Amino acid sequence: MKSVSKVFRTDVVETRALKSFSLEIEPHEFVAITGPSGSGKTTFLNVAGLLEEFTSGTYLLDGKDVSRLKDDDRSRIRNEKIGFIFQSFNLIPDLNIYDNVEVPLHYRGFSGPERRKRVTAALERVGLASRMKHIPSQLSGGQQQRVAIARALAGEPRVILADEPTGNLDTTMSGQIMELLEEINAGGTTILMVTHNPDLALRAHRHIEIVDGELAASRARQPAGAIAATVAAPPVVPAAAEERP
Amino acid sequence: MMLKHDLRLALRSFRRNPILTVLMVTAIAAGIGAAMVTITLYHARAGHPIWWKEDRLFAVSLDNRGNDHKGEELMRHPEYPPDQVTFRDAQALYRSNIPQHAVMMYRSWRVVDPGRTGIKPFNVVIRVTTADFFSMFDVPMLHGSGWARVADTTPEPVIVLSKRMNDKLFNGANSVGRMVTLTGRQFRVIGITDSWLPRPKFYDLTIGAFDVAEDLYMPFGWSTELKLGSAGSINCVTPDAKVGSFDDLTSTDCVMLQYWVEIPSAAQLQRFRQFVDNYTNDQKQHGRFPRPTNNRIVDVPTWLEMHDVIGDDSRLEVILALAFLVVCILNTLGLMLAKFLGAASITGLRRALGASRKQIIQQHLVEVVVVGMIGGVAGLVLAWTGLWAIRVMTYVPGPDDSPDKRALAQSLSHMDYRMIVLAIGISLLTGVLAGLYPAWRIGKAAPASFLKAQ
Repeated sequence: MKSVSKVFRTDVVETRALKSFSLEIEPHEFVAITGPSGSGKTTFLNVAGLLEEFTSGTYLLDGKDVSRLKDDDRSRIRNEKIGFIFQSFNLIPDLNIYDNVEVPLHYRGFSGPERRKRVTAALERVGLASRMKHIPSQLSGGQQQRVAIARALAGEPRVILADEPTGNLDTTMSGQIMELLEEINAGGTTILMVTHNPDLALRAHRHIEIVDGELAASRARQPAGAIAATVAAPPVVPAAAEERP
Repeated sequence: MMLKHDLRLALRSFRRNPILTVLMVTAIAAGIGAAMVTITLYHARAGHPIWWKEDRLFAVSLDNRGNDHKGEELMRHPEYPPDQVTFRDAQALYRSNIPQHAVMMYRSWRVVDPGRTGIKPFNVVIRVTTADFFSMFDVPMLHGSGWARVADTTPEPVIVLSKRMNDKLFNGANSVGRMVTLTGRQFRVIGITDSWLPRPKFYDLTIGAFDVAEDLYMPFGWSTELKLGSAGSINCVTPDAKVGSFDDLTSTDCVMLQYWVEIPSAAQLQRFRQFVDNYTNDQKQHGRFPRPTNNRIVDVPTWLEMHDVIGDDSRLEVILALAFLVVCILNTLGLMLAKFLGAASITGLRRALGASRKQIIQQHLVEVVVVGMIGGVAGLVLAWTGLWAIRVMTYVPGPDDSPDKRALAQSLSHMDYRMIVLAIGISLLTGVLAGLYPAWRIGKAAPASFLKAQ
């Protein structure tokens, strides 16, 4: 992203959710995003996931400029290249696990056998192949989040955007979900994860902080050097932020 | 493939919110049902019974009323002349050779003696008419034909039977040439009409617009010969008229005959109008027709409208029913919008997972079309039930009902295939109209706005 701004306007107020936001994410990176509530983390994730259009700036995804695409193209890219994981899992309550994971594959136009193959593989990968016929309310929170991860994986996306994926889970389950995400990342999928949990943020390759719609800090996990970390454009990361653990 | 998927989603959506779905289906069904009942009745009333001759067939009425306007304040259309003509006026008009065909006629009755053991003599309703009746109204003939004009004046002892009467008297055999005894006098059958149900019975509305055709037809000359009284309507337009005998009826200003002409060209029609006006003006010299000239020579649709067979009330009923349908559509639209917005978070999720705006709109349109179809089918069932109830309430079967009468009662309250096609069309349109805006609205919103609501 380069100089991306997002302004929400109503009749009486104008809110600048992202202010000339610039960030470059390398393929296969695992980036943790933190920041206070209302700082613009979710807006950034929505823009990155093509769920919202932005006001100005440029956004290249997988080398392609996706700044001003029509809805059909945005939807297609969202379906093919991006997987979403939400804090509240966002499973469809009256669909069973299998059908929930299958949802994005319908919009891709896959045949029935192809959908079946992908759904089964994704559920096996998260360890829930035996629960295919269960509905979400019959599963624990951790299991539901794993279903959401399976849904994100089934389309074999280039990038997964996770908005506080462990926010509704206890420590043990959070750890399991984090391990699963690390495993997926190790398989080559780029992951951007918004979190309030500093311990989880530290496990990412890079930890960036958003404050007031601006990139406040960006630092790579130690040992440094294995992962490139770049603040692509001003604002310059403040020294105080650099000193945080 | 997507359509199948969308259909599955629609069914899931119904299961998710069955009460709202039932309310929507009920609203559409009520609207369609009411519209179909009124449109069917209007369709039956407004059926053009002889559309192929509408520009050449005319009913004639003369305003022979006196200057006493008593009772006219109670009439719906006091400006119209009486709907029938007098015996002597009919005979005077019949002398004109301007019309291609002319018919003076009325309804009478006689006793038929079947001449067979086991069947008692019975009354039969007769149409006493001049010869052109059959050719002018294109009456379908099963066997034989009507009579020539000369048979009216002599008159010849010939009759034409309806199919029903022929079935009753001769068990359906071709009875042309056979004899029938009418009040002691023998008549030879020269023709048998096929089933004939002019709807409305435009040529004689005095007994009712949906009465069945008569069972026996007799040359007009027999009216005076047998002094055949009227089994229809008699209206004496002059005060203190004495109508004690048939001769009184023919000599006083009592209207009792229907008079129809067939005139193929506008010029001839104009000539005939002039002829009629000249006649009534001439009669004024003899103290008749005291009012300003008010003769009406009108085509079939105008005739039906003048007699409120298809009047403002019928149209108003249709307009009200369609207005009710619009209210139902708006109601369904509101319910649909509430339902879609209620599931907006799931829609937002589907958008996030890759559904395009078009796919979301299509998915919701499939749902509204399915609702419309189910509502339409339920509406058809309601309409059938309503029409059945109307038939039960308005038609009491009797032992002497002819198949024609039963068929008429059926046809008055039965939707034909055109009505069913119309109902399906309206229900689809209703569904789409009610769902188009909600589907568009839900599809237009950015997915993130719904995900925030999670």
